[in-house]
Amino acid sequence: MIAEMSILAVLAIPLLGSVLTAAMTSPRKMEIVYLLSAVASLVAALWLAAEVATHGTVFWLDGFLYADSLSALMVLLTSFVYLVTAPYAVGYFRHDERYAEKDQIFGESNDAPTSRAKLRKYYALVPLFAFCMFLVAVSNNLGVMWVAVEGTTLASIFLVTFYARPTSLEAAWKYAILGGVGLSMALFGTVLTYYSAYQVLGGDSLSALNWSVLVDAAPRFGHPAMRLAFILVLLGYGTKAGLAPMHTWKPDAYSEAPIPVAILMATAVLNCSLYALARFYVLTSRCLGPGFASQLLVLFGLLTVGIAVPFILVQRNYRRLLAYSSIDHAGIMVLSLGFGGVLGPLGMLLHMTFHTITKPLLFFCAGNGQQHMGNDSLRKGPGGLLHVLPVSAPLFLLGALAVTGTPPFSMFQSEFMVLRAGFAAQQTGLVMLFAAFLVAIFCGLFYHVSQLVLGPSTGVPRGDSSRWKTYPAIGLAGIVVLLSFWLPAPLYSLVENAARILVVNP
Amino acid sequence: MNFWQDPQFGDRMITMMAALVLVLQIMMVAQRGLVTNIRAFGVQSFLLACIGVTIAYFNHAPHIYAAAALTLVFKAILLPLILERLVAKIEIRQEIEPFINIPISVLVSGLLTLLAYVVAESFHRPDEARGAASLGHNTLAVAIALFLIGFFMMINRRKALTQVLGLLCLENGILLAAISLTYGMPLIVEIGIFFDVLVAALLLAILIFRIRETFDSMDVSRLSRLKG
Repeated sequence: MIAEMSILAVLAIPLLGSVLTAAMTSPRKMEIVYLLSAVASLVAALWLAAEVATHGTVFWLDGFLYADSLSALMVLLTSFVYLVTAPYAVGYFRHDERYAEKDQIFGESNDAPTSRAKLRKYYALVPLFAFCMFLVAVSNNLGVMWVAVEGTTLASIFLVTFYARPTSLEAAWKYAILGGVGLSMALFGTVLTYYSAYQVLGGDSLSALNWSVLVDAAPRFGHPAMRLAFILVLLGYGTKAGLAPMHTWKPDAYSEAPIPVAILMATAVLNCSLYALARFYVLTSRCLGPGFASQLLVLFGLLTVGIAVPFILVQRNYRRLLAYSSIDHAGIMVLSLGFGGVLGPLGMLLHMTFHTITKPLLFFCAGNGQQHMGNDSLRKGPGGLLHVLPVSAPLFLLGALAVTGTPPFSMFQSEFMVLRAGFAAQQTGLVMLFAAFLVAIFCGLFYHVSQLVLGPSTGVPRGDSSRWKTYPAIGLAGIVVLLSFWLPAPLYSLVENAARILVVNP
Repeated sequence: MNFWQDPQFGDRMITMMAALVLVLQIMMVAQRGLVTNIRAFGVQSFLLACIGVTIAYFNHAPHIYAAAALTLVFKAILLPLILERLVAKIEIRQEIEPFINIPISVLVSGLLTLLAYVVAESFHRPDEARGAASLGHNTLAVAIALFLIGFFMMINRRKALTQVLGLLCLENGILLAAISLTYGMPLIVEIGIFFDVLVAALLLAILIFRIRETFDSMDVSRLSRLKG
């Protein structure tokens, strides 16, 4: 019974936070509730992970909700991102509030009530957004999982339009329409999966869509339906994860949303959609053998990494640069899953963990730069951010090195594991191509960031005065450095157990 | 045996209504009035509800009644009303301007229907030609056709509202597949899906309203400032 309460805690805390902030008027109180819900979520996630580590799996409500190591890892990563963005968001929006009248940040009317209503929108919608992501991870029923993924889109549409600029409306429109079409494909795929299971399991009981039931029955499913189902699910959840060629909404939405929302979308939402895809990958591979699904994943993964290369090389805005970097990492994770074997899933989940921890650092520094300079262009300024932002600028450089997989940072280890998985799958040609893409992305990203950060002083007044905005970046940088030398044993065993769920024996 | 107890009669009714649904879909591609288009969508959803009731009655699957009722309330009545009010409120020109002219659009829809039949054929298993399997064959083809034509409508139209209409048609196709192939998903899933579709349509309507206010147009080909 105690173990089941951990699932309840994970779901109830953000929901409660959302309801409470929606009923408040004072921004300071909203901040407190938001911060508390973030801390409590991480505690609940750690609790769930501990329960899963002792019991293996946790069921609640007759298996309607279900957590294994993979779910626990997703919950943990989501709550980690939710927590690190929380203090930063407070500083970020206080900065906006302070400069609202001067810079017309909130559109035409910038009086106090407008900005307060805007802030309430953020502080109420983000916990709801987090709740949907937690529900994705712990719902056993594939239909409910779909509803939760759709919920993440719905909760975030109006977070993308936060600044009410024409460009942010454009970004939100693309996001909503592409997300809607993509997810309807995923729904069709879910229906077809249910159809192929229905012929085997029969009955219309609730459990016929439960992943834990389907996974045992999968070898007996009808093949044509399952094949079509996987293609639809790959296109559907792939759109949400930003796989090429359905990635076009990503740079727009990431560059228009407020920084904390962009971080949640670039890490937690990406993880959730890949998680949903991975669940279907297991079902499909058990049904059709590992070849079919793996080949599709390798194709889409490599295409995604490849398409990010030219856009990173010629990029003009650093927030869009980060979005393309996120597209690149989505491709790496899918590619790793497609390589399969024992190393493929492990590489994917390790990469996911490291990416989730490293990426927010880059967005923090980019946000500090953008708020201080007033734009996110790589071309307008002559560089020299180092003299303007003495804290954020060097961390930006560090983050750029870490995220491109430079040794000794931890993403080097996970990318190396992806390469090894590729060699183990005897895909030498593809691995060579993949390595070439990685080198090109390293050059592009590092060139742009160093152009921005290094260089002579430009006489812009110094920034980096807000503790709310610099301390989270410093703390996260500490974790990134620490993690490159020491991976805690419980975390590694969680990742390893989660990867074992995704291993499909031929 | 009376005809209303004969499952064969039920099958024929369902096939006929599914055919009507497809005809309505092609009609939406073929004509220009925006309000007519919204009403055709309402009628299509009503027919889907009827198919749901028929399946529930002949196969003794009571929970499909709930799905049919939800379809009737939300998709056949509520959504068309909301969309028509939106059309009246933003005073747009009542005409759809597709990129491809109408005769060719209809031809493309026909080809997509053919493709849907080819795909559905691969699912057909004569050895299980009873109940769900035999029913599934024709309606699955119609469902896939709705899905593909809905896609085509979204690509082919430049106004925001008509794109949303395409998305809703596409979702009707999925609904048809869900209720006819498997006698409906579990009820709680259906409720979740309906709730989501309704909220999505509302949010998109709000977004359309704001796009219209900001850009003074609903032409989404003007949303092209973000590049690269």
